[in-house]
Amino acid sequence: MPDYPSLPVVSDALIGGLLSAAVAWLLLATLWRMIQWALTPSPLPIVLAPAPRTRAGVLGRLLLELFVFRSLARASMITWLASLAFHYGLLLVLVVHLRFLIVPLPLWLLLFVRVSTWAASFLVLGLAVLLIRRVLIDRLRYISTPSDYLHLLLLLGIALSGAGLKYLWPVDLFATSQFLRGALSFNWQPLPDNAGLWLHLALVILLLLIFPVSKLLHGFGILFSPTFNQRDPNR
Amino acid sequence: MNARQPTTSLPPVVGAYRVIPLIQEGASASVHSAVAGAEIQESLGLPGALVENWHDKAIERLGQLVKQRRGLRVFLDTCTRCGACTDKCHYFLGTHDPKNMPVARQDLMRSVYRRYFTVVGRYLPWLVGARDLDESMLDDWYTYFHQCSECRRCTVYCPKGIDTSEVTMAGREILASIGLGQQYSQEIISKVRRVGNNLGMKPRALADVLENLEEDILDETGVAVRLPLDDEGADMLVVTPSADFFAEPHVDGLIGYAKVLHQAGIRWTFSSTAAEAANFALFSGHHGHLRELAMRIRLAAMDLSVSRITIGECGHAWRVAYSFLDTLVGPLDFLQPGHTRAEHICEVTHQLWCSGVITLDPQRNAGKVVSFHDSCNVARGASMGDRPDGQFTIPRALLAASVPRVVEMSADTTRQKTFCCGGGGGVLTDEMMEVRIKGALPRAQALQAVVRSDQVTHLATICAICKTQLSTVLPQHDLAGVQVTSLHHLVGDALLLS
Repeated sequence: MPDYPSLPVVSDALIGGLLSAAVAWLLLATLWRMIQWALTPSPLPIVLAPAPRTRAGVLGRLLLELFVFRSLARASMITWLASLAFHYGLLLVLVVHLRFLIVPLPLWLLLFVRVSTWAASFLVLGLAVLLIRRVLIDRLRYISTPSDYLHLLLLLGIALSGAGLKYLWPVDLFATSQFLRGALSFNWQPLPDNAGLWLHLALVILLLLIFPVSKLLHGFGILFSPTFNQRDPNR
Repeated sequence: MNARQPTTSLPPVVGAYRVIPLIQEGASASVHSAVAGAEIQESLGLPGALVENWHDKAIERLGQLVKQRRGLRVFLDTCTRCGACTDKCHYFLGTHDPKNMPVARQDLMRSVYRRYFTVVGRYLPWLVGARDLDESMLDDWYTYFHQCSECRRCTVYCPKGIDTSEVTMAGREILASIGLGQQYSQEIISKVRRVGNNLGMKPRALADVLENLEEDILDETGVAVRLPLDDEGADMLVVTPSADFFAEPHVDGLIGYAKVLHQAGIRWTFSSTAAEAANFALFSGHHGHLRELAMRIRLAAMDLSVSRITIGECGHAWRVAYSFLDTLVGPLDFLQPGHTRAEHICEVTHQLWCSGVITLDPQRNAGKVVSFHDSCNVARGASMGDRPDGQFTIPRALLAASVPRVVEMSADTTRQKTFCCGGGGGVLTDEMMEVRIKGALPRAQALQAVVRSDQVTHLATICAICKTQLSTVLPQHDLAGVQVTSLHHLVGDALLLS
């Protein structure tokens, strides 16, 4: 046998390497964006009153905005419910994906796996409502740019291709796990031969690439929003 | 604040109650705030007319501002166009112009920011709605950044905490830096710098006004209430919007402050060099001017060696005094311990009333049914007293103690969710009358509801702009019967004076 990598090995490493690079980009670019925000001076206190007078109060305000979307709840009940369904559905689905990283499967994770169908349904339903209202309401149509629709379609594509892997095109879970763990530890393994999986992975890589340079970063922006994260100027 | 009456006569605007309108593109595109003349601009060290290389200059200034103001940068970066704010702006609800939706107003700047300062916007502008700063965009900037009253109601509903006023202030600052200042704000800033107040009223004229008012109070009440000017040795400096000296219904509020302070036995004074609480640099967005105008207050307080500073009824002045003064002019540590920040006249009166120094008798205002209009800058830009929501509870406590009956308007139009009067942020000019009248629609609708249900007779408020704007435009909303009044007018009338 010749002492050089054969073609499949190169392409396996290529796809695994692409995922590794995308994850590294996601982490570094997101960190860079946050450093940029943190380094920009904040000359005047512009907190939205009534404002908390203690640090604990500020923390509470940020947690409410981050995890309950409190301001959105004031604005529009439908958008709020759809956003909650989408974000928490996505969070649960991501937790379920830990099954590919933690071997053997821990008992607590099994609980999440058992509700994964519900989680995926909330995810898709939430995204669908957000997309429909963006198309139907004239004010939303007016302010939407192509990227606003494409972000939703990309997330829907990821969710639906993922659901396809679960229900239509069964994938080799062990091999997928090996591929993923390999990509995250720079020990690249071949991607199982499943067109659905290839599609799912391609869309996820695209998402990881655009996340730090798009509005998808808004969750981190909330932490840096001076109207939220400052105390009353005369606390 | 000018009290000029409307020069245009428009038909009443009476929309269906709280219906979200369909968008109507360009509906208010023709309403332009007048551009500052060369003389005014140059007196502020700014170009007198649109500079030749305005495009490059504007982009350069925008680049500097996003590096200098974290809020601006985060706000431009994090909007998801979720639409939460789209039906929250009074100017959109009144004009139906989609560029008056807060997100669309911000997008005028955001699309340019993306085009010039982000990689995706530079190479794939169509994808993210990035746009060149061309002449039509410049026109939109001037038009719609001046159709924002910077009231921050949209921020209450924004899940990212985006503050549109930061965007419009930055926009106005950029526009002024390339020669397109706004006549109204820039002229006033220029007058305050030269003379000390918005009206350009000289000290002698001011002293005459105060003397006449003292005579009026003596005639009316038989009590010699003083309105001192530049009284060295006074304990308290009172800084109030200059509209309080002459405009109706403001002046009755001024008389109210004087009666309260007289009754409490406090030795107080106005200052001829700081005879203006208003700081229109908040509207023009120029931090240098903001500081310069705020500094007059500190200097006057030091010159007169007072131990307390009190701010009269003025919304944005209170935001500047409460939230910015320390940052702009340094800590006011020369003041008396316990009073080391500027205090609102409502806080002062409330303390006096709570401690029993003054007595209020609501029956002296018998027959009045009063509603309270929260002013945007007080409600969302500052606080009062010891509680975080003191800016809501303290004026209401004074009102309840001064009149026999108080009726609240709908809860989604008061306190933190209050609607702007429609004239704030430098919009209070004659040429903006159409937008002012339409922008008052949501407030007028909420008021109409309580006039019908509870026969409200008076609308009390604590902002000079609100008083001028509402007394001017409410008749256009079929509300000529409701009298707009200063809170301290009602307090002064309820006060047992001796």
